[in-house]
Amino acid sequence: MAKKSLYEMKLPKGYEKKLEDFFPMERRCSNCLGCKFVPFEKIKSDRFSRNCPSVWYYNFNTYSARGRFQLGQNIIEDGYVKFEGQALEAIFNCQACGACDVGCKITRFNLEPLAHNIALKERAVEKGLAPVELKAAANSLAKQKTMLPDCKKADRANWAKGLGLKDVSGKDTAEYVFFPGCQYAYDADLKKKAKTYVKVLKQAGVDLGYLGNLDMCCGGRAKQMGFRDDFEAAAKGNGAAWAKAGVTKIVTPCSDCYHAIKRQYALLGIKVEVVHAVELIAELVKAKKLKFKKSVDKAVTYHDPCHLGRLGEPHEDWNGTEVKILNQIHTWEPARPRYAGTYGIYDAPREILAAIPGLRLIEMERCRENSWCCGAGGGCSVFNPEYSDAIASERVTEAQATGAEAIVTACPWCEINLSGIESDNGTFTNVVDIIDLVAKAL
Amino acid sequence: MALSRDFFRALEDIVGKRNVSEDPAVTENYRCITAQSSAHYGPVNTRTPKPLAVVLPGSTEEVQQVVRLCNKYKVEFKAATTFWAAMGFIGSDNAIQIDLIRMQGIEIDEKNMIAVVDPFAIGGTVQVEAMKRGLNCNVAGVGCSSSTLAGTAGWVGFGPSSIFMGIASENLLGAEWVLPDGEILRTGTLGAEGEWFCGEGPGPSTRGMLRGWMGTAGTMGVCTRIAIRLHPWPGPKWIPVRGTAPLYMADGLDNVRAYTVCLPDWEAYAKLFQLFYEADICYLAHRQFNMFGRDIKTAMVEIFTHPELQFRDIPRLVEDPYLKEQNAQMKVDVQIVMAGFSDRDLDYKEKAFDAILAKVGAHKSEYYLQQDIEDFVKLYLLRLARKNYNYTLCSSYEGNFGLHPNVWKAAPFMEEAAALKLKWEQEHTGIAAVGGDSDMGSVSGIGGGGTTGWEFFVHFDAFDQESIKNADAHIEDTQRWMFEKGLGVDFGRWNADCRKNSGYSYTQDEHDAMYSKLPQPGIATYQYKIREAFNPNRLGGSYYKTMTPPECK
Repeated sequence: MAKKSLYEMKLPKGYEKKLEDFFPMERRCSNCLGCKFVPFEKIKSDRFSRNCPSVWYYNFNTYSARGRFQLGQNIIEDGYVKFEGQALEAIFNCQACGACDVGCKITRFNLEPLAHNIALKERAVEKGLAPVELKAAANSLAKQKTMLPDCKKADRANWAKGLGLKDVSGKDTAEYVFFPGCQYAYDADLKKKAKTYVKVLKQAGVDLGYLGNLDMCCGGRAKQMGFRDDFEAAAKGNGAAWAKAGVTKIVTPCSDCYHAIKRQYALLGIKVEVVHAVELIAELVKAKKLKFKKSVDKAVTYHDPCHLGRLGEPHEDWNGTEVKILNQIHTWEPARPRYAGTYGIYDAPREILAAIPGLRLIEMERCRENSWCCGAGGGCSVFNPEYSDAIASERVTEAQATGAEAIVTACPWCEINLSGIESDNGTFTNVVDIIDLVAKAL
Repeated sequence: MALSRDFFRALEDIVGKRNVSEDPAVTENYRCITAQSSAHYGPVNTRTPKPLAVVLPGSTEEVQQVVRLCNKYKVEFKAATTFWAAMGFIGSDNAIQIDLIRMQGIEIDEKNMIAVVDPFAIGGTVQVEAMKRGLNCNVAGVGCSSSTLAGTAGWVGFGPSSIFMGIASENLLGAEWVLPDGEILRTGTLGAEGEWFCGEGPGPSTRGMLRGWMGTAGTMGVCTRIAIRLHPWPGPKWIPVRGTAPLYMADGLDNVRAYTVCLPDWEAYAKLFQLFYEADICYLAHRQFNMFGRDIKTAMVEIFTHPELQFRDIPRLVEDPYLKEQNAQMKVDVQIVMAGFSDRDLDYKEKAFDAILAKVGAHKSEYYLQQDIEDFVKLYLLRLARKNYNYTLCSSYEGNFGLHPNVWKAAPFMEEAAALKLKWEQEHTGIAAVGGDSDMGSVSGIGGGGTTGWEFFVHFDAFDQESIKNADAHIEDTQRWMFEKGLGVDFGRWNADCRKNSGYSYTQDEHDAMYSKLPQPGIATYQYKIREAFNPNRLGGSYYKTMTPPECK
């Protein structure tokens, strides 16, 4: 029997789930360069005009979202290309940072380049073709409930020792559960910062607990790497643990966890209220429950983490489908959420910084929804550190161009990836977690 | 066809291993899927041939070495940067693709008002670097995402700002050109560091040979740098922007005014153009939003300025009484931007503008005077950052008709052309039904004219095979109409003689047969001689229109 043409495919209902669902998008991409540059009207200089780390570094068109649309089409429609060689390199060297998504949706209403990039990764993972480092991380997620190498489940809750936090896995209850994420739970330096977060929130009167032995990796990075099944297993495991512990509100200092729970869990029907710590702290500052008394005389720049900023928009359920009106105009019935970075978390961290006496914020050219990725996304820092470092170096160079003394961020992955990086102007180590500035000013 | 190992290794030696690839994941990505990329080649559903390799040179010297290597091995080549159009892609199986993405330098000579730009300097970056020095560049109508070099040196290149800044051929001051045989030709004086600059002097114009009016679309070698003329910009060093994606608007810009003019008929439209030239008041002038279609253009602007709206809201918005009235007033319309170099200058321009409107019986659209909409339009036209709106309705479009660059010649045909398109929208379902007239175009260039009816947008679905075929058939019909009226080649068929429907180049014999029917075949025989002088191995595709002269047969 002849293979049925993809042109005759039944358009999917609801969000696209598998690679073939994206075929119409692959055909409808118009090669506009929106996935290679910051939205054009926002370009402030030639030097910092690019938005996609992947095509910026590798240069071949295949490494852009447009290139991946054509790559996907070449793979599933015609079999011109197989999952091998530079196809795999282009597929996995995507940070899943979503800059292409924002650039695309400036003008287009019916393309989802980020979701497509991840669908390509998922298909490669299904075929067992992921880089070995990523496979190891996924194995670790299954066995040790963390994607960090050499970390043990048994050590996960050590960060909370001595804090007197309520353990909601037992009989305690709390309004908010502090969900540290793997980096804050295991990294020696970041553990201290996790403690600071807890102390600050408790000082402001937040009724805070933690998950004790039920605490696990959110699995969000598995999703970014294409390990869909591992991600879903982690999400379901967390969902069950939270249900058991009666968790209703989560506060996390990790942008990856925030995005995973807010957007990706919701897509699986696991719904829980989640806030990033900066949102809660900004509210507490506004309500005068946290008062900054000390001056921090410093000029800083703020790095918007991808998963808090442009990817930090709330999820909306949608089970519609494409319809055509006026002969050929595509639209959706009912209206489809258009995740263009519009409602990401940009203001809360800036409100905190603005409230700290003496602190001066100087913005980088690429900020808010057009922030340049730190390089850690999509597992790239795990299997391709040279590439990941080059991306971080580009960001540090941009930060230095502002004249700021430090880069402030609100994500442990960004903090780690940007620290100690060689930029165009030498090594730059002054990368600061926003909680350190908060604690200093209290 | 496979590339010889010697050739491939030599490419690696020139550009480094990481900058050359023959992996199908890369080479297949350098095939133009023509239904996705209009560019006046015709919305046929094919792919251009697969290159033997893709190479990314980083300098003129590397380009030269690559070209010489191609001559040595008799391998064809084509260079491009943004790959927006079919013309940037190769046309045979024995060819490599040169991607100039690594060459993106921009050098501004503020004093002499010149920019020297590399191939991957796009309009958006050249413009922003110029604005820092109080200058601006003509951004081709295709938008600021296109290569300034390609639009200026290789193609027609007019845009909304051409009324003030000129079209591409008027702005090209000099070029560094790796000729098809590997020689480097430098015209004018490139470089801005203390060097004086001149355009071409007396004698045969190499610019004319290599570029002509239309451009040779890369057929005649690789242009690696050009010098362009810059123009005054009275605004800030960077246009402040407010809003979050997807809605951005200009913030401030008090000395810049954007208006939409509503005209009673096409005769008034032509008169308005003439008076704009005479009064010299426009910084930009363009019929822009009509590209979505006469019936829905106001609904579309409403959607773009209200991110919560989607295309499903079009039918409702079209019936909204206020918008309906506003849209009706804009049946014949044009957008203009005036920039004041002083308060007195802006005052003069406003007064002259009002007087012109009164003279032709036109008025300013009330709808476009709303602050957010005016600021959206200012940013849109000044930076031409959203040209991908061209594709937003259906995912692809083709520009067709191409009535005439003289507004007085074209204006009398506008309603008849619109009626023909409307008939197709009503009788077929393959193209978007947007009200017939979907003409857009710039009021260009400095010397007068006005590309009226140049480009009706035919919106079709690049995923839907029937839609693609229907759009193609529509353009076939408009081409028939164009010939009947003595108006020449339809814009949608401009490049149809450059590349076959199969995606491959024409042979010389095929071109000979084709161009012998030209009204002035001598042009093609003259170009044949130029090609033979510059491109003896014929390695650049068939976009340069040549016919073998009798004495060479």
